[in-house]
Amino acid sequence: MIKMRPCFWALVLGPWVLGLMGLPSLLRTAVGAEWETTKPVEGIREPSPNVHALVHARIIPRPGELIRDGTVVLRDGRITDVGADIEPPPDARLWPCDGLTIYPGLIEPYCEVGAKEPPTLSKDLRHWSSAVRPDYQVLNRFEPSDKALKSLRKLGFAVAQIVPKKGLFRGKSGVVTLGNDDSARTILAQELAQTLSIGSVDVPEDYPTSLMGRIALVRQTFLDAAWYAKATRIRRRYPDKTDSVESNRMLRELAQSQDRMRPFLAISRQANDFARLFKLGKEFEIPLWIRGNGTEYRKIPLLKEADVPILLPLDFPEKPAVSAVEEALDAGLRELMHWELAPENPKRLNSAGIRFALTSHGLKKRADFFEHLREAIDRGLPRKAALAALTTVPSELMGLEDRIGSICQGKQANLVVSDGPLFAKESDIRDVWIAGKRYEITSEPEVDPRGKWKVKAHEEGKDGRKLSLRFKGEPSKLSGKLHIKDKKEAIKLRNLRIIGRRLRFSFDSDALGHPGVARATASVENGDMMGTVTFPDGQTASWQAVKREQPKSSEKEADKNQSEPDESKNRTEAGQKPEPIAEVNFPFGAYGRDGPPKQPRAILIENATLWTCGPPGTLKNADLLIEEGVIEKVGCELDAPGNAKVIEGAGKHVTPGIVDAHSHTAVDGGFNEMGQAVTAEVRIKDALNPQHIEVYRQLSGGLTTALVLHGSANPIGGQSQVIKHRWGGDAERLIFEEAASTIKFALGENVTRKNWSDPPERYPRSRMGVEELIRDRLRAAREYQAAWERYRNAVSPQEKIPPRRDLELEALVEVLKGKRKVHCHSYRQDEILMLIRVAEDFGFRIGTFQHVLEGYKVADEIAEHGAGGSTFADFWAYKWEVFDAIPYNAALMHKVGVLTSINSDSARDRYEWAKRLNTEAAKAVKYGGVSEEEALKMVTLYPAIQLGVGDQVGSLEQGKDADFVVWNGHPLSSYTECEETWIDGRKYYDRQADQAARKNIQELRNRLVQKVLQSDQSGDKGAEEEKDEEKKDSLP
Amino acid sequence: MMRRVTKIVPMIAAAVAVVLTGGPAQASTQIPGAPQDQPIALKGATIHPVSGPPIKQGVLLFAKGKIVDIGTDIDLPRDVQCIRLNGKHLYPALINPYTTLGRVEIGAIRQTHDNYEVGVINPNLRAEVATDPDNELIPTTRANGIGHALTVPLSSGLILGTSAVLKLDGWTWEDMTLRAPVGMHIAWPTINIRHGEGAKSEEKQWKAIEKRIDKIRQAFNEARAYKKARMAESSQTVPVHETNRKWEAMIPVLKNEIPVMIHAERVSEIRSAVEWAEEEGLDIVLVTGQDAWRVAPLLERHDIPVILKRVRSDPTERRWEPHDNALTNPRKLHEAGVKFSLAAGTTPSYQRNLPYHAAAAAASGLPKEVALKAVTLHAAEILGVAERIGSLEAGKDASLIVTDGDPFEVRTQVTRMYLRGREVELSNKQTELYEKYRTKYKRRGLLEE
Repeated sequence: MIKMRPCFWALVLGPWVLGLMGLPSLLRTAVGAEWETTKPVEGIREPSPNVHALVHARIIPRPGELIRDGTVVLRDGRITDVGADIEPPPDARLWPCDGLTIYPGLIEPYCEVGAKEPPTLSKDLRHWSSAVRPDYQVLNRFEPSDKALKSLRKLGFAVAQIVPKKGLFRGKSGVVTLGNDDSARTILAQELAQTLSIGSVDVPEDYPTSLMGRIALVRQTFLDAAWYAKATRIRRRYPDKTDSVESNRMLRELAQSQDRMRPFLAISRQANDFARLFKLGKEFEIPLWIRGNGTEYRKIPLLKEADVPILLPLDFPEKPAVSAVEEALDAGLRELMHWELAPENPKRLNSAGIRFALTSHGLKKRADFFEHLREAIDRGLPRKAALAALTTVPSELMGLEDRIGSICQGKQANLVVSDGPLFAKESDIRDVWIAGKRYEITSEPEVDPRGKWKVKAHEEGKDGRKLSLRFKGEPSKLSGKLHIKDKKEAIKLRNLRIIGRRLRFSFDSDALGHPGVARATASVENGDMMGTVTFPDGQTASWQAVKREQPKSSEKEADKNQSEPDESKNRTEAGQKPEPIAEVNFPFGAYGRDGPPKQPRAILIENATLWTCGPPGTLKNADLLIEEGVIEKVGCELDAPGNAKVIEGAGKHVTPGIVDAHSHTAVDGGFNEMGQAVTAEVRIKDALNPQHIEVYRQLSGGLTTALVLHGSANPIGGQSQVIKHRWGGDAERLIFEEAASTIKFALGENVTRKNWSDPPERYPRSRMGVEELIRDRLRAAREYQAAWERYRNAVSPQEKIPPRRDLELEALVEVLKGKRKVHCHSYRQDEILMLIRVAEDFGFRIGTFQHVLEGYKVADEIAEHGAGGSTFADFWAYKWEVFDAIPYNAALMHKVGVLTSINSDSARDRYEWAKRLNTEAAKAVKYGGVSEEEALKMVTLYPAIQLGVGDQVGSLEQGKDADFVVWNGHPLSSYTECEETWIDGRKYYDRQADQAARKNIQELRNRLVQKVLQSDQSGDKGAEEEKDEEKKDSLP
Repeated sequence: MMRRVTKIVPMIAAAVAVVLTGGPAQASTQIPGAPQDQPIALKGATIHPVSGPPIKQGVLLFAKGKIVDIGTDIDLPRDVQCIRLNGKHLYPALINPYTTLGRVEIGAIRQTHDNYEVGVINPNLRAEVATDPDNELIPTTRANGIGHALTVPLSSGLILGTSAVLKLDGWTWEDMTLRAPVGMHIAWPTINIRHGEGAKSEEKQWKAIEKRIDKIRQAFNEARAYKKARMAESSQTVPVHETNRKWEAMIPVLKNEIPVMIHAERVSEIRSAVEWAEEEGLDIVLVTGQDAWRVAPLLERHDIPVILKRVRSDPTERRWEPHDNALTNPRKLHEAGVKFSLAAGTTPSYQRNLPYHAAAAAASGLPKEVALKAVTLHAAEILGVAERIGSLEAGKDASLIVTDGDPFEVRTQVTRMYLRGREVELSNKQTELYEKYRTKYKRRGLLEE
């Protein structure tokens, strides 16, 4: 706090100095703010001069610069001068800043404080989804509470970017100063960035319910905006030749934002989001800013490549709960690793040269911001970079670098005055100046009497007695003693309290010749104490004390006193032994990798039983040669290049990699878009989660390829995705490039919501309605296709408004053209037959019927149509429409000529099924007598053909991808285990390596749990006790 | 439609044996086995008594529903019916120790469920009385060699009621009930302290848990007081007390006539339950999942047998857990000296896959013979029916299966089943539908005869 000592002599001498300096600019206005106001004055005017000079301060004008003893002059809300040798203007109020440091006012780059929901618009102005509000300017409804503003100022923030907080296209951010009333507030930017989210919409809308649905809506809206801009342009130019276009404010706003290259502030919520947002940015050519989420350190190369600024929160995780042994089992490895690594996030971004601004957003308690920042600095973030991330970086990002972000002439008078280095623990922010107005943050410096004081008492007759006072302990829990020279025992001070700057205590005054208890009070100022003492008999005396010794200074205080604020220093660099720290792997956490497995140039498997699932059938004592990820040869006694990796296959069985034609593995944010009856626009590939642990676990059952399907909530569901389980790669790496495009259809109980306890009234509710809806939408697609053809064939298309691109119908046009395979969830024979007829009427062929548990009843029809059937081996009776399911289904369909596969429907309880599709296939042998080779093909070649990858995978044949499994026995035996799983000639699973990984995981967990427990030194007794228990009864 | 067995059924056809007998394809048409009216000798098969080593080319003689003798050269009565089973295998009929068979038919249809009951303290509920003998899941389960099942009340409360061992064949639930009550089932309160956003304070959470555990304690205290009062009625001076069905049902538990079967998943729950049982001086059986191995020493120390609910299972929600945590669990329990039996999860239609759960345990290192015991003899011992079933020994029920190989292999067919000497149907709704549609395609020339 700056003691408010306006220097009267300065005011008196003012005119003289002014005359001497003769600055004409200062004479233009006598008083005033930075802005003019039209608001009439009520009552008497109360102008006050708005000229200040902060003198004798350490000044950090911008990160990396220092003025050791300088002055900052503020006039009417602006900085008019700063430097070492500056004479304060004569009319300036002087603020001595001895011992204080001045920083530029900090900038909060992502702030939802005061952001209100946008006002509801009338129906004709609204977008059909209230999650789309690009028109909304958040500052139009900026209603911050004083408390919230204060909490920001307390941290030194003078300016904030305010962002809207709900919806997908949330609206436009604005930049504003954080003064506590309207008159003291400056809007620095009314509309700055469009805010874009792919998180839950938070507005009352049925659609979208899933991440992929939200991404689809974002994409469709961008397309709509582009179309709208074009359509209105053509309409204006050719009003006679075109139909009118609906007026759509939202689309206009969005198109304008894109035109003006307005940045899109995209909100990430987790590590997988970065790639998703970058993809959107690229597709729609929008400049991105990313609101970070704390996991950036896991994606450094990606972020570096994207070169997008990040608004980085510091919400480091709380300590994982590990104090109870049983509880520690549930503390995830990722949670533990993140706890260890998160504070290093800013440092790692900084070292990688990624531009970021720091935000206090997302902290549970905003007041913890500096604590977290200090942690980040301790972990290697240079102070200079930290300061830049709060000043120059955000100001440049916002295009406001000429107005805010540093202390220099002409800029807005935003300052932070601190009594020490800004980020040091012992430092307090005294004042924050915002647009020339001072906000006091810390009222009084705490009186800290700790140390030794020499007492001079003025007690009559007792002069000469040598007394001293000693205070120690925490400032809030002070204890003290009165020492009398020559006496051995000190007198304990009782009822010791500090109120404001006043100290009071009582003590036994017998030793001073006053039997009883004496009471003393004193005022404390720096090194002086002045007080009175009242003895038991009522006599009073005054006394003084002078500080003689400082208490032993703590490390932090030393830091405060010595270190330069702009130099980078941290503990690990200070020459201490570096502690071990978890390696960042991918997928992050258990079983993650540091890169894709190596691909040996050549691999030879010798003397194995090869289940080729191709024309040669099963070969005993055979060899398999692989070169550069592709099967080169299958046969006996093959020659391999000298450098080939040889796998001894004696006693082993080798099969093609298992293919699962029905999976829901590896999807973030829901694999069902339930919001509408037709959601052909949503794409599983937008929501792929390469970190889903099942991608790895299922490799342990030999699974290499899967069709990740949209769920069955709607008759026409979303676009599905064929993946390879390339664990360790990002979402793009999972995608099986050569696979056919797909879409999910669904029939029966799920789409009519028959098993819901309280289903919403949404068409369809019957199988009759399902048929009609599918037919109607396919018709719409056909008409859409025709509209485009008409447009493209028009004589002068430039005079025509093009049809609006519709992602939903585009997908269905591909279905009609046979370019997109339909995989249809179905159970009952009537609905299977129905869809066959629909497809026939529209001239396309169904790819597969999925589940198809009554497929055996119409197998001849399915075979004739040419669709495949992908079924459970023996699952049934979980609902009414599967009560006629039989385990002979696969065998019957197969024998009647249907291309048949057996799948897992990998999700929730069934994830595990995907780990043992080999024995699920064995059930086709048991139930219906399918041969073993044909049964194995039901989980290899046949599903591969169904997914449109029959030429790449599914059998061990020359030219196919080297996707194979090494088993320790007959692949259909219940006792057999998978030893190795290879994809593209790379070993993605290995039993030995898996065992080693477990050991590493266990060791890492142990180390991290220990570290968490050791960080518990605050005396959590329960934790200590549990720790002991862990020693004696450690849970594996 | 019961088939008189007079000849050896060819291997493949056995699974579709119903073909030979014909009959309309209607729901639940299987007719219970007829009482054994003639001694039967099964000859030539490899006999796996479970209680002893396999006997090759063995003979098993049973009469009036009981096994009379087993060996390679045994005396046969004159009126014996001999069935040659060369190349086949005889095993005790398998036991699934954790099912809802007969009380749940279709997952999504509430009308077919008899599990949930109002209230949290329901010791008087008896699972067997709501068992529908014509439930379609029973014949399909039988077809996989499972002859017996524990049917467990699985409501949402704390004290759930008593279970019963069912013989999966009979005209009525009384016919089917081999033993009841078997155990008093208690669902131990969940102990899962939550942290972070939205979580209540740890103290509050513990209080809530303690409160639930106290409800169990209180029930036992009440039941003890009731038992004491009722026992005292024989004395002239003591008035007659009103009947309390709930506490009445607890008396066999308090007398340790039947064990308490405690359902607990988490390590903390298991520990808490074991401590409680120790305090109360009760015999318990633990019904649990894949964390059991983590407390194996505790279970071994207290001699607590275990029913493992499901072997083939993904790890718990713990992402770091090894993918085979559930599969290696039986092996680790075995190595620690804990006795257990294995089950196949709670999905009723999937409980027929019990043999493959046992196989998965064996694949993960559990000795095969222990895996077999876990679904036969050990299950019988844990359920208190070992003097009747679980192994092939003279004097026990003639409850056995004939297979063409290792019953744990999926490709193996169960060709016959005898329960108490009655040959029972292996056909079921599914084989009937299979036949119906085979007929369709045969008529169209799409399927060979």
